[in-house]
This record gives sequence, structure tokens and C-alpha cells, in this order.
Amino acid sequence: MRPFELGVATTIDDAVRAGTGSRTRYVAGGTTLIDLMKLDVETPERVIDINPLARHDPSLAAVAELPDGGLRLGALGRMSDVAWDARVKERYPLVSQSLLLAASGQLRNMATIGGNVLQRTRCPYFRDTATPCNKREPGTGCSALHGVNRSHAILGTSEHCIATHPSDLAVALAALDATVRVRGPGGARAIAFGDFHLLPGTHPERETVLRSGELITAIDLPALSWARRSLYLKVRDRASYAFALASAAVALDLAGGTVRAARIALGGVATKPWRAVAAERALAGKPATRESFRAAADAALHGAVPHEQNAFKVELAKRTLVRALEEVSA
Amino acid sequence: MSSLSDPVAPLLAIGDEAPDFTLPDGTGPEGARLRDLRGEPVVIAFHGDGGDERHEASVRACDEIAAELPQRQHVRLLSLSLETHGAIARRYGVAGDWAVFVVDEQGRISRRHLAADAAPGSFAWGCSRREFIAAAVGAAVALTLARAAARAEPLARIVAAPEDTGSLMHVTLDVDGKTVALELDPRVTLLDALRDYAGITGPKKGCDHGQCGACTVHVDGRRVLSCLTFAAMQQGKRITTVEGLATGDTLHPVQRAFIEHDGFQCGYCTSGQLMSAVAMLDEPWGPTDDDVREAMSGNICRCGAYPGIVAAIQQVRATRSAGR
Repeated sequence: MRPFELGVATTIDDAVRAGTGSRTRYVAGGTTLIDLMKLDVETPERVIDINPLARHDPSLAAVAELPDGGLRLGALGRMSDVAWDARVKERYPLVSQSLLLAASGQLRNMATIGGNVLQRTRCPYFRDTATPCNKREPGTGCSALHGVNRSHAILGTSEHCIATHPSDLAVALAALDATVRVRGPGGARAIAFGDFHLLPGTHPERETVLRSGELITAIDLPALSWARRSLYLKVRDRASYAFALASAAVALDLAGGTVRAARIALGGVATKPWRAVAAERALAGKPATRESFRAAADAALHGAVPHEQNAFKVELAKRTLVRALEEVSA
Repeated sequence: MSSLSDPVAPLLAIGDEAPDFTLPDGTGPEGARLRDLRGEPVVIAFHGDGGDERHEASVRACDEIAAELPQRQHVRLLSLSLETHGAIARRYGVAGDWAVFVVDEQGRISRRHLAADAAPGSFAWGCSRREFIAAAVGAAVALTLARAAARAEPLARIVAAPEDTGSLMHVTLDVDGKTVALELDPRVTLLDALRDYAGITGPKKGCDHGQCGACTVHVDGRRVLSCLTFAAMQQGKRITTVEGLATGDTLHPVQRAFIEHDGFQCGYCTSGQLMSAVAMLDEPWGPTDDDVREAMSGNICRCGAYPGIVAAIQQVRATRSAGR
């Protein structure tokens, strides 16, 4: 691991002051950053430990009620605490499930909500400094395009990068239209979740709209009464402790047997948490039947671009979405 | 033997200068004296001779211990027989029983460990392996502490700079109820701090990337992976390793259940399995075997002892709920 300075921040203002600069990283749970530092993929010159922020402001690690009936997830809340929070489980089952189906018991006790949505891709070429990777080293090329690409994305790709976004939680947050609250040198701002992550395009090294020094302070879940009828379904190579090959976050507003409105997002198949607006439109006003769900799935995967080893994901993602919709409407 | 009539000097205390002597054959460069070793910590072990077998056992134990010491600490071990080197022992104030002294790089006694301090169940030469390692590691700790400069506590400060070996971080950890003071590079993970700097080798290094669970410890009662956090970030937290699970000689119920149900084969993953198992008892998991498998999925066992592990955990859970 390369040498670095380790700093400690006790207030957000201190953190933002210390955290500005391209070679500076904040560390909270450390489960992505330290892993990648060991691989020389992340080589910060300065690392700021932001965990002490929660000692001075416990709301940064808490789940709190919002006036409109939503919930605010403090960015330093640990995945396990949020997953098992009674309000999250009852009002946003898809959020709780997406957290519990991710990582392991130990990692969930470490990793934070803010860090989760910032985690880096598991693309093996990104993690291997001996191979070209446009995300890690812009301009060097994409090794996955014609390499081992079974786990890679079929939606939102570019000729420069086909790396899959690894987060489960982010898929649930995309479905919910969550809001990311950040603080930075320019003050506070709120970012719609759908705008938070960037498509790779010609600059796969840019993954979010966060500016230098900006720190996520909370993620707001909007009030959505029918999110109680929601589900996160994850399909992977083994039954537990693996990243998604395909996943679906769904919430349905059902009246009788008819879908009044739907929220749908896909994971494991896209370069960013993938809100499937076309599928939502396809379902609105339709009967909650397998045929409707299949049509929505076709709409969700319309335009998918498979590569040599991941063509199976097109059908897998469709079946994953259909099953999720069947289970949540049952 | 004239040496028998030599007076026994007062027992050396911490801070005393270590009496100089010519290193016995095989323990250092030929003809070298103890003072020639200044600049590196030296551990001097005086051990008894209970016959040839016991002597050999003590030498073997010493070699084994030397092999286990973290390399970067450069601790030199001198194993001296009380009989053969009785004259030296008496100058250190040691008469009949074994003793361990740690001599710092200035040639002063920084630690001592005596037979009278030892717990039962020790090696033939009177000191348990772990006690010896603790003493040797203690030497390195004491040295680094001596070098550590007092630092202020400004907010958002930079507490250590790279390329500057003189500004390692002073890190204090609470491990298994004991305070461990270390001087560490910021890069040192909690796992490496425990194993390589504090001599607590119960947590194992498997993948070192958070994928296997062998390094699992508890921080403030919650299970975490010690390989994916920097030691300097865990100050002020209560760290529990597998070495802190038992109460004296009484094993934790989960440890007993693992033995009863063959919850291990080679044993390498076991300390991590145990720490996860103990922690999951306090997590809101469902009652089925599948719930246990899900809760324990972050701990990989290449021997495939999973059925025994599940059975052991389920037995403890059944006993617990019956007791409620």
C-alpha cells in the first residue's frame, strides 16, 4: 500500500476543509477503499477518517423521521443498523432487503450508507493494475470489452466501459427516487438519486456528480405509502454473499388487480443503478398479471447491449423482474 | 565450581542497566558481548535444566517462539541455561527459577517476567509460549513508545506524514480487556496490528480483502473484519478477539459446541467462525438452519465443516432460548 496521511475529522466543516483535493479520500467503513488501496487501485495521498463525525452529531448515523412522512438515513449509519430498523423494514422493505442481501454480516456492520452508494465496480480489470482500464486509468482502453465479461453490464454501457455498478442498496434507492444530501466547500445541496451516478460515456472515471470535497451527509427516502408493498430480488452465482448477476427493486401501487403505479429499478446488469422508467410506464393501468409483467420486463431490457459472455443476462434480468413483480403482487 | 559461591545480585529492576557478558556460543557472533547488540531489543531467557530432555524442549520452544515473532521487530533471543550460565543469571539477580528479561536498545531492562508471575500450564522451561511472546513484543512496544513524541489534539489534523519515519502514529487499542500501546504506520490494518505488532495471533489472515472472514473480531460487541480497517481508526473502541472469548479456563459455550459438533477440521477459519457465531447470537436472525447459514455466509471454510458449525450454533441457540 502506498504511504498516505491519515487525518481525523470531528466536524463536517473540518472534514470538508481537509477533504478537498483530488488525491484525498474520506474513509468511513473502509470496506471498499482499504480493499482498493491494498490493490493500488486507490492511491490517495491523504485519507480523512470521518467516523468521529457521528460522535459529535449522532444524527449523521441515525434513521430519522422527515416531516413529510419519509425517512432520513444518516450517511454514517451502518448497513446492518438501517437494514434492521423497524421503520425501514415496515415502510421500505426493498431497502431493508437490498441491504441484507448484500455483503456479509461483518461487512454490513462496517460499511455505511454513504459509502455504499459510492462503492466501486467489481470489474476484475478495474481491480487489476496490470491490465488496461479506462475507469482506473483513463485512455488505456477497456479490457472487458473483448475479455472476461460474464459479470458485466448490458445497459448503460459505452465503448469505453461496461463495468457493472455493484451496489444493491443503490438500486432500491433509484426505485424510490431518493435524495442524496451533501455538504461541500460550496455549502449544502440535494441531488436527486437518478442524477447522482453518471453513465460511463467517454469518461468512465467519473462515476458521480460529487465535487471535490463534497461529503454525503444523508439519503432521504421520500414518503411513498405503497412502498410498503415492495421487494428486492437478487440472483447470484451462490445463495449468499455474492454480487448480483441480476436484481430487481420493485414497488407496486395496486388497486384490485390493477397496477396504478410502479417503481422499478434493476441491478447487476447496468453501469449505474438502473431506473426502468419504460417498464413502469408499461405497467401503469395494466392488470397485475404475468403477461403485463413480461411486457414490462421486455420494455426494461429494450436496448440492452450484450457482450460475448453476458448475453444470458438479458433473459435473466427479465425473469428476475417478472418474478419480483409476481412476488410483490401476490 | 567456583561460580556456586558467587553472590546473587539484587534482582534487576525496570530501567537498570543490563550487566554485560560475553554471548555464549551459538547465541551471537563469536566473542561478541551483550553491549555489542545495542540498537536492537534483546530478550534474555534464563531457563532451568531438568535433564537433557527438558533442556532440548526449552531450546525447541525458544526456536519456535523466535520463528513466531514478527520479523519487523528484529528481536534477538538469548536462551541461557541456569546451570551452564548460572554466573550470568546471578548477576541478573536470578538464582534458581527461570526468568525473562527484555533489554532495550539502550541496554537497559525494559521488561522482566519471572517464574513467580507465571500461570500454570507452562512449558518445561517454566514460561508459556504466549507469555514469552508477550514479553518480546512488549519490548518492541516499549521501544516505540519511548520514541513517540507527545502530540497535540487539533481537529482535522494530519497525524502522520508519509516518508517521515519519525512520525509514526501513537495508537492505543483496547484488546481483550488489555490496553495495547503501539507505534504504527497509518497503513497498518487492525489485523496486522493485532498479529504483527501486539502478538495476538488468534485472528487469522486468510484473503486480506474482506472475502473470507478469518480475521473476524468484535468491535464494541459487533463482528467486523479486522483486515479492512486501519488500526488507528479503532482507538477508543472495545476490541475482542477469539483470545478473549473464554473466561479463564472456561470456554465460551460456542467454543464448547464447536468442539462437540466437530465445527472445524484444519482450524484456520475457526477463530473467525467463532467470532461470527458469538456475534450472530445477538443479531435478529430467524430460527432455521438456513437463517444460520445466511448469517454465517461471510465466513468461508475450505474444509467444509459447515454442517458441524450450523449444528453447534443451533445447539447454543436452543440452550439460550430454553434458559430464557
